[in-house]
Amino acid sequence: MATRKKVLLKVIILGDSGVGKTSLMNQYVNKKFSNQYKATIGADFLTKEVIVDDRIVTLQIWDTAGQERFQSLGVAFYRGADCCVLVFDVTAPNTFKSLDSWRDEFLIQASPREPADFPFVLLGNKVDLEPRAISTKRAQQWCQSKNNIPYFETSAKEALNVEQAFQSIARNALTQQSQSVDLYNEFPDQIKLTNTTNRNSNGDSCAC
Amino acid sequence: MEDNHEEVLEIFCQDGVQILTAPAAYISQLNNVGTLMIVEYPNSNVTRCIEWKPIDLTIDSDVQDQEWTVVSTVRRRRTYSGSLPVDANRSKHLKINMSDIKSFRVARKNQKLTFRDGKGDDLCTFVFQHGSCEGLVAVLKGILKTFVSRRDKHVYCILDDERNPERQQLDKSFAELNLFQEQSSPYVWKLVKNFQNRPYETTMEAFSKITDIVYRGAEHRLMDPEVHNILHRSLEAIENNTTTHSHEEYEVIAHVPKLPALKEYPRGRPLSLEQWKALQDSEGQVEDVDAVKLVIFRGGIASNVRKEVWKYLLDYHRWKYTHSEQANLIKQRNEEYFIMKLQWRSMTKIQEDNFTDYRERKSLIEKDVNRTDRTLDYFAGDNNPNLQVLYDILMTYAMYNFDLGYVQGMSDLLSPILYLMNNEVEAFWCFVGFMNKVSSNFDMDQAGMKEQLQHLNTLTAFYDPEFANYLYKHDSANMFFCFRWLLVWFKRELSQQDAMRLWEVLWTDLPCQNFHLLICVAILDTEKHILMENNYGFTEILKHINDLSGNIDVSAVIGKAEGMYNQIVDAEHLTDAVRIIIGLPILGNASVIDSKEASPDISDLTLNGDTDEVSYENALTNSFL
Repeated sequence: MATRKKVLLKVIILGDSGVGKTSLMNQYVNKKFSNQYKATIGADFLTKEVIVDDRIVTLQIWDTAGQERFQSLGVAFYRGADCCVLVFDVTAPNTFKSLDSWRDEFLIQASPREPADFPFVLLGNKVDLEPRAISTKRAQQWCQSKNNIPYFETSAKEALNVEQAFQSIARNALTQQSQSVDLYNEFPDQIKLTNTTNRNSNGDSCAC
Repeated sequence: MEDNHEEVLEIFCQDGVQILTAPAAYISQLNNVGTLMIVEYPNSNVTRCIEWKPIDLTIDSDVQDQEWTVVSTVRRRRTYSGSLPVDANRSKHLKINMSDIKSFRVARKNQKLTFRDGKGDDLCTFVFQHGSCEGLVAVLKGILKTFVSRRDKHVYCILDDERNPERQQLDKSFAELNLFQEQSSPYVWKLVKNFQNRPYETTMEAFSKITDIVYRGAEHRLMDPEVHNILHRSLEAIENNTTTHSHEEYEVIAHVPKLPALKEYPRGRPLSLEQWKALQDSEGQVEDVDAVKLVIFRGGIASNVRKEVWKYLLDYHRWKYTHSEQANLIKQRNEEYFIMKLQWRSMTKIQEDNFTDYRERKSLIEKDVNRTDRTLDYFAGDNNPNLQVLYDILMTYAMYNFDLGYVQGMSDLLSPILYLMNNEVEAFWCFVGFMNKVSSNFDMDQAGMKEQLQHLNTLTAFYDPEFANYLYKHDSANMFFCFRWLLVWFKRELSQQDAMRLWEVLWTDLPCQNFHLLICVAILDTEKHILMENNYGFTEILKHINDLSGNIDVSAVIGKAEGMYNQIVDAEHLTDAVRIIIGLPILGNASVIDSKEASPDISDLTLNGDTDEVSYENALTNSFL
């Protein structure tokens, strides 16, 4: 068993602009909150060593830009992710509505082998703010409809539930990684080549 | 008759087709109406034919049909290759071997179709009296590799070298590589020429494009027939050339051309108020704009005159205007600004509720204004009035350029301008000037950013093939780690003062266009030893580059980039690909001329008389990149 092997878990944080992705990451890793974080441009990540079920694992947490048009560049960052954290702002209904497209986009771009089983975790951030627009129940319903995604209500500002949320994220990522050693299609080219051959023999077998 | 047993497949059939022109043997049939078919003979060497028979063959049609379908095609093909098969007994049946057809032309709104033999002669012409030839064309396109002629969009050319399995393999591998983003002949020629002329860099460039596959997986990509054709012709040409090469010439391929030595270019003094005054005449016109820009390029602008000069660099003021002309322009721009501002300020609640696009922009601007340079005194603190100005300018810009709207990164570009101008209208128009220079950074499809990243890769591959190779091997040839640098022109990497210095230098467009890419190359060159010695991969490179923020010596970098520019322009092996990026005239039309010689057919297709050759070459190299 490879249980003593050093484990690196790659976690991607996605969600609309301004929901608090950078703040959550910094609160979890650096225990700091600032009102002065700039909008993320491109991508960045922080790492943190955590203990999950008596094992030391390194979380590599990726923070990306939230504006839609920058997503076409996201593919380079999504690859090899072990868990995807979706974030919305509980005071901003639009950020909740976008969750489906964030989830879909991730699955398309990262193309994990078992999309239905890929671990997502949902964070409803900014619970310290009023007025609340998305109820706990509504968020939970969404999670149930997506194969029971774990849901946490957090405040990056007040450090509320952040630690617990990331513990769950780490555990989910680890479970997934140990269950299937090979989360992604390791040799996608081989499979594609088979397709190619098929297509050639069907379609292109013309003027010979 | 053994031919009786021949299998026959009818692929296509259309009635009501009149034969308009045909070779002499069929003269009696001209203007008759009949049935046009595509017939396949799977057991014959000649697999497919276009056949036409008159409709009025009613007498013993069964026999006719039977006999007609069992025609031995082998003999005829040999005898009549390139022409029409003639059979005295069946002179009413027209039959054209598909392999004799080199092109076909559609005319008269899809009612007329002419098959041609590729030697300038028409094989025959059909008129489709009922309906059109669209169905036939669709089938032909399905079973043959065709492409539309560049000289005549109604002409479809047919490629016929399908039979060689090695070529099919070659096609497949090239198609999988997807080197040619918009597959067309110019860049294939370019690639092939480059493989000959500068094999190392070209290979690196080509490799860099493989990241596409690395990240997305190799989808099946069909090769454009035109590309396929050119590639094969060119490879033949290369084979022919290489057989005559001496051994010494083979050595050239292994030789990596060297750049001249890197020289130091220390920065000069900034443009001073006195210099600036001296460069203006009594009317306020700036005579020698180039001189001003040169001083700025060398040393930037002194802080006491920066505000004034930025207005010129950002096209708010005009170099050649007199004081009174300038005053008029300012007045006009002032009015325009407030008209645009009023447009969004007067939006009612209901209008806003019914305008999702507008609401989304507004919300994004609100979010970003509150997190733009809040650590600077100018924007610090709650209820800072400068934040409101920042917001108003970005909202007005969204009205000024609604197609672009607001994209993250814009507030970073506006912040130093507003800080310097400290005036809403002036800052707005200077921001417009800056945006005009970099708006492609904010394209919806990110095409501008992707192109710059590719250009950066090309420059790196030219300047330092070893480093480019390293990046390629470490999944980093996409240069994504430079995304932030490029999007906001190093705003996040430098202090406000340093960013302003770098920007004014870049706005001069000296010593060349896209000098900001050379700034990237210069920084990367300084960091590459760390990256390579530590064997960093994509993740670590990105982290290292992000962490450079705050640790870049802007003067040293500009000086180094200038030195690199001079190394590049003095390089004997300077390529057109690099020339295009830095805006140098390209080296003539070698590849075009060669393509003409090697392949008259293709050059005919790609060139026509009224094409401006320079812009053509430009487009060609650009598209190859």
